[in-house]
Amino acid sequence: MSSDLPERLTYGEWTRALKEGRLLGQACGACANVLGTPKGACPHCGTRDLETVELPTSGEVYTETTVMVPPEGVEERGYQVAVVQVGEARVMGRVDGNGGEVHVDIGDSVELTGYIKGEGDDPAPLFRPAD
Amino acid sequence: MTRASVVGAGMTKFGVHDRPLQELFGEAAFEAFDDAGVEPADVESFYFGNAMGGQTENDTHLAPKLASHVGIAGVPAQRYEDACATSANAFKNAVQAVEAGIHDVVLVGGVERCTPQTGLDTAEMTRIFASASHRQYEQPTGLTFPGVFALLTKRHMHEHGTTPEHLAHVAVKNHEHGTRNPRAHFGKETTVEAVLEGPIVADPFRLMDCCPFSDGAAAVVLVSDEVADSYDAPVDVTGIGHATDVVPIGDKLTPHVTQAARDASAQAYEQAGITAADVDFAEVHDCFTGAEVMASEAIGLIEDGQGGPAAAEGRTSYDGDIPINASGGLKAKGHPIGATGAAQIVELTEQIRGEAGARQLDEAEYGVAHNLGGDAATTLVTVMEGRR
Ligand SMILES: [Zn+2]
Repeated sequence: MSSDLPERLTYGEWTRALKEGRLLGQACGACANVLGTPKGACPHCGTRDLETVELPTSGEVYTETTVMVPPEGVEERGYQVAVVQVGEARVMGRVDGNGGEVHVDIGDSVELTGYIKGEGDDPAPLFRPAD
Repeated sequence: MTRASVVGAGMTKFGVHDRPLQELFGEAAFEAFDDAGVEPADVESFYFGNAMGGQTENDTHLAPKLASHVGIAGVPAQRYEDACATSANAFKNAVQAVEAGIHDVVLVGGVERCTPQTGLDTAEMTRIFASASHRQYEQPTGLTFPGVFALLTKRHMHEHGTTPEHLAHVAVKNHEHGTRNPRAHFGKETTVEAVLEGPIVADPFRLMDCCPFSDGAAAVVLVSDEVADSYDAPVDVTGIGHATDVVPIGDKLTPHVTQAARDASAQAYEQAGITAADVDFAEVHDCFTGAEVMASEAIGLIEDGQGGPAAAEGRTSYDGDIPINASGGLKAKGHPIGATGAAQIVELTEQIRGEAGARQLDEAEYGVAHNLGGDAATTLVTVMEGRR
């Protein structure tokens, strides 16, 4: 699997992977932090020695909120946004609420189930409770 | 050590103002000029903050426009933008310029119009406020600005047992403080029950956990240490820390500790030669109740994890052991984004001078302002003291 990982993770590569059901991150070769979104250099230590890594697609809710007053352009309300711990990294995504029936709490297990499109078709990870 | 001194302060009432940015800012600037006893010809530079005028009212290149309106066209004028920390950053740069001997007398301030009555509706403003969250890795989730602080606060609640009642007490306290401030957007008291019955905006925040959309302006005249004694009642700036944290939230090491506030306050206290224990009062950035809880801990005024109970027990009230947001804070005084940091400096100045009227604190020798931007990834902390 690692052979198809881009040497330098970009937004384009990150979104392409997300649309394939994968989460890519970066492991810092100097300070050992793992990033959930692409950077040009490690924000924690400054090195450009960042290795693209495949992140797990399941993990645990680190924090979450349910948005009842959405921004312009978002028609629904009552959707849940969560920061999910996937391995050693965290990524933000939407929780698939199944029309408001599903809600997750901090510590709950979730798995990547696809993506949603934000403004301009920008994708965001979509998670659902793990079986 | 004194880095610079505030010798004049002015601000508009925060609330709804149906007039152009330059006229709104002019009211605050002229009040600051008159308070300081300076003429426009005395002012050598202009440090200005406005966060969103380009997005909200198609108004940019504001520094020379506002300079022209207040009679200081010709001087170097610069505009800062750091989301809600916009005018604290303008103030920091002004302090550095004055301290470095580049200028002796400068005008610093900010202005913003955010109310639905004078501009865009709530959904449009919610979208514009969300522009401070990460464009690629946060905005597509539908995250809103209340949502940003909700994510931080929920983790704080998980780690420390902070409750919705604790958060409500912050709102109740700041509303009570706001009744003492004639320039506050909200002048009415509320109750814990009323806060907890409000509609949810982004859980755990209900409507009354959130600051309002406000219009307003604030300005100060800042001078060098060398010339400060030639003015009445200078108030010294003895420390300003400025730090940033990683964006987006997912890549912060520990989001709810608001590390930038810890770093900025450590810098500010060290410059001022004080510790958090010396601080008499603080204005902190309570855009949401949870933000005040986290800020009160991050700048060292309350033990970690105790920010909620401290508010509930009255420790941070006007008559408590460490008063926080005696002005009413963003919650009740209001939050015209680019004016907020400068308005905190106005409040510190008035409290330290003993000119704060019905909200005057008994002990106001050392004051601290905490102004954050975005998801707390920009934070400035300022220490001010009376000149002895
Ligand atoms: Zn690193």
